[in-house]
Amino acid sequence: MKVVNWFTPAIALARIAWLRTVLYLFVILDMHAFVRDTRDKGEHPGLYQPLLLARLLDLPKPSVANTTALYVVLIVACLIGATNYFPRGAGWIVAPAFTWWVLIGMSDGKVDHDHLALVIALWVLPTVGGARRGLASYGDQTRSEAAGWAIRCVQICVIATYFLSSIAKLRSAGWALTWPGSAVLTWAIVRRPHPVGEWLLNYPWVLHVMQWVGIIGEFCSPVILWLKGRWQLFGALFFLGFHAANTAILLIHFLPTVVCWLAFAPLERIVPWFQARRAKARSAEVGSAEAGSAEAGSAEAGSDDAGETEHEAEQGREAEQQAGA
Amino acid sequence: MVTQSQEDRQTPAVVRSGPVGKGLRVLVAVVGIGLLINGSVRASDDAWPFGPMSQYAMSVPDDAKIDYTRISALTDAGTTVDVPLNIEGAGVARAEIEARTGEIVKDPSLLQQVADGWARKHPDQPKYVKLELIRDTTQLVKGRVEGPPTSQVLATWEVRK
Repeated sequence: MKVVNWFTPAIALARIAWLRTVLYLFVILDMHAFVRDTRDKGEHPGLYQPLLLARLLDLPKPSVANTTALYVVLIVACLIGATNYFPRGAGWIVAPAFTWWVLIGMSDGKVDHDHLALVIALWVLPTVGGARRGLASYGDQTRSEAAGWAIRCVQICVIATYFLSSIAKLRSAGWALTWPGSAVLTWAIVRRPHPVGEWLLNYPWVLHVMQWVGIIGEFCSPVILWLKGRWQLFGALFFLGFHAANTAILLIHFLPTVVCWLAFAPLERIVPWFQARRAKARSAEVGSAEAGSAEAGSAEAGSDDAGETEHEAEQGREAEQQAGA
Repeated sequence: MVTQSQEDRQTPAVVRSGPVGKGLRVLVAVVGIGLLINGSVRASDDAWPFGPMSQYAMSVPDDAKIDYTRISALTDAGTTVDVPLNIEGAGVARAEIEARTGEIVKDPSLLQQVADGWARKHPDQPKYVKLELIRDTTQLVKGRVEGPPTSQVLATWEVRK
């Protein structure tokens, strides 16, 4: 039962609402900045080599008509989904449509590995129902196991991206640990020349240190799933730093994975935090206005403040428990 | 009034999933993890999104030859240029060309679409009249780059109008 519950922690629906907005808008960015050649493939299907999933589903060859339709449908459904009005209907359109979009984009002999978490996130988000719609959904503190499962799936896929990278490195060497001592980063820099990387070519030992740090970090990444609060944040920051370094050296950013790290963030705290701040500002205003009129009033305002702080502390504790989930 | 709304926030309701919903969710998650492991242990990129995370996963020996494939073009203005292998340039990425090098060597006419892509995206620029698929090779010695790369022409294609 404990194992079952690990997959379905109760997490506030507000986190799902935030993720929907961010991820559906990110998909639009992705279609223009990252997997952006899908429509070109529709115009020139010459190099099209369908991947397994496309063959299994017998998906039609990309054409101008179907890739343009896919583009329009995705943009419309993402915009609707991002508002959190009709998020499930829109979500069930975005998930298969974007999967097909990426599938076409990668059916040319080269597959990128930065889209796993994003694609899975799009498939699990519409499974979560919710009573509140639109703006109200961003502050919905109702905790739901369905929401927790969706969040957990995204978290697992983010971590899998790293952990399985270390496995692939062992496998490619015939299940041996030769990768971190090899010249792989030198190779990568020679093929993607760029000032920071080319400067590093003079210091192969630095590159070897980076390779060791990288593969050890990747191999240990599953620990982050069980870390809580601050320690989990450190884990996340380590990998964000890892991506920053990769971007500086190789211009490889992995943003579609990076954005999914938000599944670990207690986004449901944003609205209460904002409300508490506003309430405090308001009570301070009221306090200063009344200060001159009655002395008794200030004592009352003081006790109000104390109540507010206690309330915040309580919320903080609660949110921390969820964040660790 | 205040206490009521605070109470709501302090003890948020928990919506539990029923046994079927929960069981199904756990099953899907476990099957997904199984597919990922299977992909990493035995499958290839073909199994996307459940394939291995094999980008930059290979061990490169200290005495490796590093290949870098590019396309050089002779234009109708008489100049020789490197074709920009990206979406904005010729509409095709370097990785695609590298992945299909063998096929292009066998059938150089595949290079025609590189010229077409360039002409379509840059109608006001000089057209390509002849394309060469070139492999630059950099030699590593003890893990360090040794000297400038050597070039080899793999395929040549006279562009059809």
